[in-house]
Amino acid sequence: MSEFERQHPVASVSRALSLIRGNFITILIFLFVGAQSDNFPFLWWIGGGFGFLLILGVANWWRFLYKIEGDTLHIKSGIFVRKDLYLTKDRIQVIDVTSGILQRLFGLVRLDIQTAGSSSRQAAIEAITRDKAAEINRMLRELTNSPTGPDSDEEFRDDSPAEPEVVKTIKLPLKELLVAASTSGSFGIALSVIATVFSQIEPLISESELFEYLFGLIPSQTDTVMIITVVVVFVVFAWLLSFFSTLLTYGNFQLDVKEKEVVVSRGIFEKKRITVPFNRIQAIHVTEGIIRQPLGFATIHIESAGYGDDKGTGSIVLYPLIHKSKILNLLQEVLPDYPKELEGIRPPARAARRYIFRSAFPVTVITGFLYWQLDLNIWIWLLPVISLFWGWQKYKDAAIGWGDDILLLRSRRLSKSTAYIKKKRVQDASMQQSPFQTIRNLASVQIFVASGDRGKSFQVSDLEREDGDTMLRQVRKNGVKTPDHLPEEPHQRRVLLPGWI
Amino acid sequence: MNEPAFHKITPRTIRVWQIGNFISNLFFFALPAAYAAVFGMNGFHFWVVTGVTSVIFILWMLSIFLMPYLAWKHWRYAINEKEIDLKRGVLFKTRTLIPLSRVQHVDTRQGPLLRWYNLSTVTISTAATTHEIPGLDTQIAGRVRRQISTYARLAEEDV
Repeated sequence: MSEFERQHPVASVSRALSLIRGNFITILIFLFVGAQSDNFPFLWWIGGGFGFLLILGVANWWRFLYKIEGDTLHIKSGIFVRKDLYLTKDRIQVIDVTSGILQRLFGLVRLDIQTAGSSSRQAAIEAITRDKAAEINRMLRELTNSPTGPDSDEEFRDDSPAEPEVVKTIKLPLKELLVAASTSGSFGIALSVIATVFSQIEPLISESELFEYLFGLIPSQTDTVMIITVVVVFVVFAWLLSFFSTLLTYGNFQLDVKEKEVVVSRGIFEKKRITVPFNRIQAIHVTEGIIRQPLGFATIHIESAGYGDDKGTGSIVLYPLIHKSKILNLLQEVLPDYPKELEGIRPPARAARRYIFRSAFPVTVITGFLYWQLDLNIWIWLLPVISLFWGWQKYKDAAIGWGDDILLLRSRRLSKSTAYIKKKRVQDASMQQSPFQTIRNLASVQIFVASGDRGKSFQVSDLEREDGDTMLRQVRKNGVKTPDHLPEEPHQRRVLLPGWI
Repeated sequence: MNEPAFHKITPRTIRVWQIGNFISNLFFFALPAAYAAVFGMNGFHFWVVTGVTSVIFILWMLSIFLMPYLAWKHWRYAINEKEIDLKRGVLFKTRTLIPLSRVQHVDTRQGPLLRWYNLSTVTISTAATTHEIPGLDTQIAGRVRRQISTYARLAEEDV
């Protein structure tokens, strides 16, 4: 592939569609303005606007050229301002193959190539045939397969297999998928989406006869019953929405473990395929959500530098839902070089009241204010009681641990999160002491790993100051290679991490 | 465990911080001024405005005459072949460790105020975070930058 090539023409349509999606608000405003004026027919606005976008799309498609020269992918793009993008093979973090509905109609795929840094979002080939994608993928992967970047000479060995063997394939059982869908965290988002939609159409409904009719249907006329009914209907709708969206996102989930990389593919309508080389994984991070934890389920994420999705985070779902007793087995199969069980230390007992205070204080103040101002029901005081319990839970879940080349941080905000970080992947490590922590000889540690555009931090608060120091020492390259000895006497502070069994 | 040798930052920085705080914290006097503009200065409101103004004045004075000195006193940095170690904070103490193999780039920066005092700020970026060593003598800053980039090249590894 030494000549510049264009994408499949469908790229122009998908480009136009993504422009619409990106400027949705602006378009909406234009539509309203258009609807107001009488001398300009409404349909003309829509037709003209879409035509304009289509022309933009075609121009973009015409001016977008790509080729592979040696070990770089060279992309030229931009209608007036030309942009030359060179992606070197050994800097590529993730190769991502998606096929949306439009692409699937024509048997095409979208290829995203991610490097560390934010400019990588432009490095997307919107629509190419499956074969071409496979070819590019293969050419770029030859090197991402080799263990480290610099030894680029080795990649041209004749015996290197064209298609790396799939060592293991792990699928998501139907039962897990259903549990994942019904306990999905996007519940809240769905609720707000529905509330927004309702607030938009509510005036329409209340003016119509339908509203009167519905009112007639509800037997009791009291406001409380009405409100409860509305809330219940909302919640049920939100739940259904999140249920089906999770089902569609994580349906057909499959995890292929290859020799040098792991491939996550998922999605029913919009298929997504993410390839992450093992040596680009920055951290493993297991979350147990508040609904899922009592059921014993958790989600496994991996952090990868440069996998920039729209939010700029680098978290990739490695496995959407798994029973906690099976996590270690799964990690053992997929990422055997991450040590699994470690001895760890919890914050000392005197930190407990800080944890409880921190979560209970703001809740109590806000509740008290609302109670005083709004004359609320006495039951509102359950919230501070719950927050007391919550603070205690946070204290119970906080812990750190370390091994020869690994750090483990466990903490809780709303959901409990357990992070495995290789020491050599730590971008920076900090220890902080507020005045009150200084008095009590406590400290908080925070560790940053590269992930997406901005990196991701993991934090554990109110540890014994000496333990914080040990943690920092662990990060030092020339630091203690063997694990520091854990403090001798307070064995109630010692825990076996990650504690999923 | 041998601790690396810690350096202090250049004392002239205190003056820069003093001038900076003098100007930027003037803003806080806008709060009682706005309050007075809305509610007037009569009776109860007079005491609110006076009280708030005097508290702000005291804090303003502290931020000019005390805090820059303490901040300077608590700022420490150490650089060796393996890592950069930063200690700072008067009330909230922070210690940060940056492995040199993780450093992506180092810059020196200089605003007009810093240039007047012949000072520079060294900025250290990793793939996740950015850290600053404020107020080093321009010559020292250049040396620190060169030192870090030399060490970083030695410690080169992939991201």
